[in-house]
Amino acid sequence: MDAIDCDVHCAPASYDALFPYLSEYWRQYISEAGIRLNGLAHAYPRGVAAPAPSSYEALASGVLDGEAESRFVIMNCLTGFETHRNPYFAAAVASAINDWMREEMLARNDRVRASLVVSTASTDDAVAEIERVGDDPRFVQVLLPVRSDLPWGHKTNHPIFAAARDAGFQVGLHAWGRAGKAPTPSGFTTTYLEDYVGNQPIAQAQVLSFVSEGVFERFPDLRVVVSECGFAWLAPLLWRFDKDWKGVWREVPWLKRRPSEYVRDHFRFTTAPAHLPADPVALDHLLEMMDAPGLLAYASDYPHQHGDGLSLLLDRLSDADCRRVMCENAAALYGLGE
Amino acid sequence: MSQVGTRVGSAAETAQAVRLVDCDVHAQATEAMLAGYLSPGARRMLERYGRRTPRITEWYPRARHAGMRDDAWPAKPGHIWGSDPELTREQLLDEFDVDYAVLEVLSGQDCYDHPDFAAEWNSAVNEWQLDEWLSFDSRFRGTIAVAHEYPELAVAEIERRARDERFVAVLLPASAAEQLGNPKYWPIYEAATAFGRPMAFHTGGYVDHRGAGYPSFYLEYHVGNGIVMQSQLASMVAGGMFDAVPGLRVVLTECGVAWAAALRWSLDAAWELTREDHPRLQRKPSEYIDEHVWFTTQPIEEPDDPQHLVYAIEQARLGDRLLFATDYPHWDFDSPKQALPRALGAELRRAIMCENALALYGLPREREG
Repeated sequence: MDAIDCDVHCAPASYDALFPYLSEYWRQYISEAGIRLNGLAHAYPRGVAAPAPSSYEALASGVLDGEAESRFVIMNCLTGFETHRNPYFAAAVASAINDWMREEMLARNDRVRASLVVSTASTDDAVAEIERVGDDPRFVQVLLPVRSDLPWGHKTNHPIFAAARDAGFQVGLHAWGRAGKAPTPSGFTTTYLEDYVGNQPIAQAQVLSFVSEGVFERFPDLRVVVSECGFAWLAPLLWRFDKDWKGVWREVPWLKRRPSEYVRDHFRFTTAPAHLPADPVALDHLLEMMDAPGLLAYASDYPHQHGDGLSLLLDRLSDADCRRVMCENAAALYGLGE
Repeated sequence: MSQVGTRVGSAAETAQAVRLVDCDVHAQATEAMLAGYLSPGARRMLERYGRRTPRITEWYPRARHAGMRDDAWPAKPGHIWGSDPELTREQLLDEFDVDYAVLEVLSGQDCYDHPDFAAEWNSAVNEWQLDEWLSFDSRFRGTIAVAHEYPELAVAEIERRARDERFVAVLLPASAAEQLGNPKYWPIYEAATAFGRPMAFHTGGYVDHRGAGYPSFYLEYHVGNGIVMQSQLASMVAGGMFDAVPGLRVVLTECGVAWAAALRWSLDAAWELTREDHPRLQRKPSEYIDEHVWFTTQPIEEPDDPQHLVYAIEQARLGDRLLFATDYPHWDFDSPKQALPRALGAELRRAIMCENALALYGLPREREG
C-alpha cells in the first residue's frame, strides 16, 4: 500500500551540526555559554525513546529502507522546542535547523519532505523565516508546538498563518514545547505519564482557539495537522463545543457555521499515538462518532513508540478507508503524489 | 408554597419515594451575607480592603446576564443569583419536584486569601448554608467549603461540620495552586473519607495554569473547563492518591462526561508504556477511575446522534457513575425534563436521575412529602 508518513522525527545531534548555518555571534554564544541540545529529554526520556535520526543515513536505515512502500515521509524537527526565551537566538536556531534539514536530509532523497520550523518567541521572526524558505517546495507546512505562551489561534499569531497561506503551507501542530512553565491546564506535573498524556488536553485547547478566533474564516484554505496528541478525544470535545456555541455565539459572531464543521474541514490528526480500546465494538463506535477515515493521517512517529493502536485502528477500517488514512488524506493535504 | 414546620402528618404517613437528586445547585452568598459571621478583625479587613481575587467574569465576560438565568436574579434588595433560598425552592425544587438538591457554594474557592481569613470565610460559608438553606428546606443538602490551600485548616473545618449529616460532601475547586493529585491535598481527602464523605471537585478556582496559554473568549474558557478536568483526573491517578486514600470517592462536577473514555484509553496505554515512571501505581489507571470517580451530568455533551452519547457512556463504564445535575441558576441550566435524551433508556436515566446519587451520598430513599 502507498503510504505517506506524516510524522518522522529528525534532530541534529548537537549544536555543532548547526554551526555551519549560524553566524559567528551565535557560535560564540553557544560555545562560551556551554549550552547543549538535550534532545528534548523531558519529552523523550532515554528510557522510552530512542534518539531521533541525526543524519540522512540514520533516517534511511531507520525509516526509508524499512518502509519501502512509503512514497513520502514528512520530517518534524523538534529541536527548536527546547526552551529558550531569547527571541533572537530562537530565530537563529530555527533558520539553522531549516538549512540543516535541507542540506542533510531533503537534498538526499526526493521522498523526504519537511516541516518548516520557526521561532515561537516572535511572530515577526516566524513570518520572516517562512518568507525566507517558503519557495522551497520540499517544505510542506509550518511546525508549531502544541504548548504555547498564547493559544495559536490568538490574533497575535495571524501573520504566521497569512505567511503560511502565501507560501502554500499548512500548519503542523506537534506535541510538546515550552517546558518552562506549568505544562498542563491544571498545574505542575509530578510524573512523565501526566506530561505525555497532557499533550492531549492541550491540543483540545488549541482546537478551540483556532476555531473561536475565526482563523478559518480568515484563512479558508488553511489546514492544521495535529501530531502526537491523539484523536480519540475529538468527538466529545466537539459535542460540547457545539453545545456551548449555541448558547454564547454572540461572543464570536464571525463564526458562520457550527464549530464542529470548521474542525472537520480544517483539522487532521495523525495516527500516533492511537490510544484506543481493545474492544472492537467500542472502537467501531468511536470511529463512527468522530468520522475517523476523513480526519486521520498516518504517522509512524519514528523513532517513538506508542503501542499497537495503529493496527487496532486499521483492522476496523475498510480497505478504501485504510487508503485514505494511510495515504490519500495526506496527499490531499500536502499536494503530494499527484 | 409549602413552609418548613407547617407540614401535617407523620413522616411515615407522608413519605414519598425519592426520584430526583440534583447534584450541582449553586447557592451564592454576597459578601454582606457572610460578613456577619466573621470576627471583627476579619470583617474590618473585608470592609476596608475587600477580597483581592481576580474575578473570572472580568477576564471572560459571559454573553448575557452575567452568565446566569435572567429569571434567577431575585427582586429582593441585597440579593444576587443563588442567594435567595425561597427563589431556588420555587424555581428548582417545586418546579421540577427535586427531592434533594446538593448545594455547591463557590464563594470561597480561591488561592489569594491569608490562611486566617480563608478559614473564617469558608466557615462562614458553611454557617450561612446551615442557617439560610439547610434549615430552610430539608431538601437542600450542603457541601463543606474549606480553605483548600491550607489542608490543616480544611481538615479542622471538615471535623467541625461532618457530624451534621446534611453536609453530604467536601467541596474543592477543579483548579488550585497545585494539581489536585498533589500530596499536599491528601489530608483533606483522608478527612473526607474518614467521615464517609465524597470529595466534590467543582469546575473553577485558580485559572492561571495554562498549558496552551490564555484563551481569548468565554466560549473557549467554558468548553475548556472539561479540558482542565481531564488534566486533573490524570494528575489524581498518576499522583497515587487513590492508593494513598483507599476509600476515597471523588465527584467531578460541571466538567462534562463524554471525554472520560478517551482519557481512560490514553492513560492505560501510557501507563503500560512508561511503567518505571510511576512505580507506585499498582493497577491500570482505568481501574482506579472505575473504583473512585463519579461525574455530574451538566453540561452533558450533546452529539447530533443521541446514540453516540450512549456509546460514550458505555465506553467509559459510567452507567452507575453519572449523577444528574441542573447547575441552577447558570445560563446553561439542564432541565430535569429535557436534558437526558431518551436514547439513554429508562433504567439508565433512573440511575442517573436518582439511584447513583442515593448510593453515593447515602441519602434516604424516602423523604417527607
